[in-house]
Amino acid sequence: MESTIKEPSSLTKLTIYARSHLPAVIVITLSIILGIVISVTASPSQLINAMVTGGMWALLAAGLALVFGVMNIVHFAHGESFMIGAYVGYFVFTSLSNYLDKNPNSLLELLAPNIGVIAAFIIGALVGVLLEKILFSPLRKRTKSGWVMNTFLVTVGLSFILTNGTMLVLGANFRGIPRYYDIPPLEFLGVRISMDRLWAFALALIILALLTYFLQFTRTGRAIRAVSQDEVGAQMMGINLNIINTLTLALATGTAAMAGAALLFMFQAYPTVGLKPLYIAWYVVMLVGLGNVYGAIIGGFIVALLQTATQQYIGIAWEMVVPTIVMILVLILAPSGIFGSEVKGVHEQ
Amino acid sequence: MNNQNNKWKFFSGLLSKIGFTPLGLLLILVLLVIPFIPPFDQEHILRWLIMGAFLAAQAAAFDFTAGYISVVNFGFAAILGVGAYTSAIMANTSPVILLRPGISPWIGIWIGALVAGLLGLGLGVLTLRLRGIFAAIMAWFVGIALMGLVNNMVDLTRGPLGINPPTLLETTSNRPYYFIILAMMLIIYITLRLVVNSHYGLAFKAIGQNFDAARASGIDPTYYRVFNFTLSAFFAGWLGGFYAHFFGSLTPQTLMHTSKTVEVLAIAYIGGRGSLWGGMAVAFPFVFMMEYLRSNFTDLPGLHLVIYGVLMILTMIYYPGGLAGVYYWLKDKLGKLLSKSKDE
Repeated sequence: MESTIKEPSSLTKLTIYARSHLPAVIVITLSIILGIVISVTASPSQLINAMVTGGMWALLAAGLALVFGVMNIVHFAHGESFMIGAYVGYFVFTSLSNYLDKNPNSLLELLAPNIGVIAAFIIGALVGVLLEKILFSPLRKRTKSGWVMNTFLVTVGLSFILTNGTMLVLGANFRGIPRYYDIPPLEFLGVRISMDRLWAFALALIILALLTYFLQFTRTGRAIRAVSQDEVGAQMMGINLNIINTLTLALATGTAAMAGAALLFMFQAYPTVGLKPLYIAWYVVMLVGLGNVYGAIIGGFIVALLQTATQQYIGIAWEMVVPTIVMILVLILAPSGIFGSEVKGVHEQ
Repeated sequence: MNNQNNKWKFFSGLLSKIGFTPLGLLLILVLLVIPFIPPFDQEHILRWLIMGAFLAAQAAAFDFTAGYISVVNFGFAAILGVGAYTSAIMANTSPVILLRPGISPWIGIWIGALVAGLLGLGLGVLTLRLRGIFAAIMAWFVGIALMGLVNNMVDLTRGPLGINPPTLLETTSNRPYYFIILAMMLIIYITLRLVVNSHYGLAFKAIGQNFDAARASGIDPTYYRVFNFTLSAFFAGWLGGFYAHFFGSLTPQTLMHTSKTVEVLAIAYIGGRGSLWGGMAVAFPFVFMMEYLRSNFTDLPGLHLVIYGVLMILTMIYYPGGLAGVYYWLKDKLGKLLSKSKDE
């Protein structure tokens, strides 16, 4: 008789959790299996490639999820933040390496890519602040009805302006760099990894960890989460919505710009470079459920795995087609995303 | 005097049944005679007029979904492209009946429209459980996947190289094409207007405004949404067929890209969503402005697209009703003024 009132064992807790998040558990298990299959049948370096891009997709998608969760903005110009970051990274890094050619300095050489990335973050964050002040704040003052759809259309227009504006100012040429670190690839257990990829992966992990720490444990981070849960309630507790909104958008555009700068060796800076990252970030966010930041981080890796698998087994041209079909299947079975809750948000109106 | 007034009322009442005001009818008449008036009878300006009518018809078909059931079909251009490609492939080789040259474009256009309509049916069913913005993004994904498919099915579509379908007519003049697309535009507008004026229109608006309340009042959202998607996609595919057999060349990039949807969306929203005619009224002056900018500022590529974006944002923030909103506001003011003067 006593045994019935015992604390449930951790295994039982786990099963209960798994049962309530069945779609997520299935998808994550399948992706882990897919990862193992890729590393066995293709090569482990493919898996590492997937992880590198996955880290960056996670960064982009987390920003998108944050903007949606806190401000209810369907941010369609997120790819343009990526594009801005790529350009900033390019200009900063090339001018730095020109300078280094004349006066060599090994420490600066090691830091140069990081400086580019940080510059991209700062410029990106500034763009975010500007957008909030010029675009979203007037719109918010004007009308609250149909807010989600309006922001979607406004950001579509914004994306158009930024893409074509860049085309006007900087022209339609590709600006890229062959690599950040001119070091031969590292060998690890028979797998060759280029230094750039390793660096980008480490960077993504560090930023994601910082972001998580910020949202979870700092006062401002808590305020951001409070606003995403209940705007009016948060306001009553004395949280200044203006500051939180500006900060959130700055953070999201900043991290997206950072990803653009960090992936410069894979994606050359070009006016429409943001379309694919935008597409993938939305893909991730839809897959895990809108507004779920931590889910978006996991989703980034899942989507990158799926892309790598498509490239490996079906062909690079199908990279966009196959994941979409998978996505459609997932959304038919779980319409609010694999981590989605059944709570109806403002976006479902 | 009174008799004349009654006749006038009867006339405008008859017109409004098919969705025209006397002013609208006048504009249509202008469009009918404009290709014979000197500055507009040059071939390149006729081409602009054709693009204007093409865009106007697209805007009406797009607004039928976006303005009424409040689902922005972000895969619109891709559906149009599928219609165009179907018709073009049928006319070139007809893989089904293995004839060479294939069937006449005059029939192919309808097959393209049917295929696009079926696609719209599928998209409608697919996005059924998704609301508002989810459905828009899902449609976008489907559009990107369709463009990817067209790019990859190289055997059928020659991929990014594009295909060259035969043209509808053997003439090199643009004027007959202008009348064809104008007729298509009017057919699309009148059909959509008739649907919208029937009880279907009410149901669409109810679903668009509040999904749950509409369902609670006994409207079957499944049926109306799928119907709306199918009809809109059918017309998109039809227009795509015209595009294919007018230009005689198709590539996925110039036809199915997301930016093409955005162009239509911008026109429809600047014109005023939920009005059907707003986008059509805006399309013609817009195409002229854009083409003027494009041909006079060749050193600034993309300038016209920046202007598109700026206008769209300004409309969204400061005048969400668009041109139609301005028109109704003016009409309201004028009506009040007139009735006041009558009272005095």
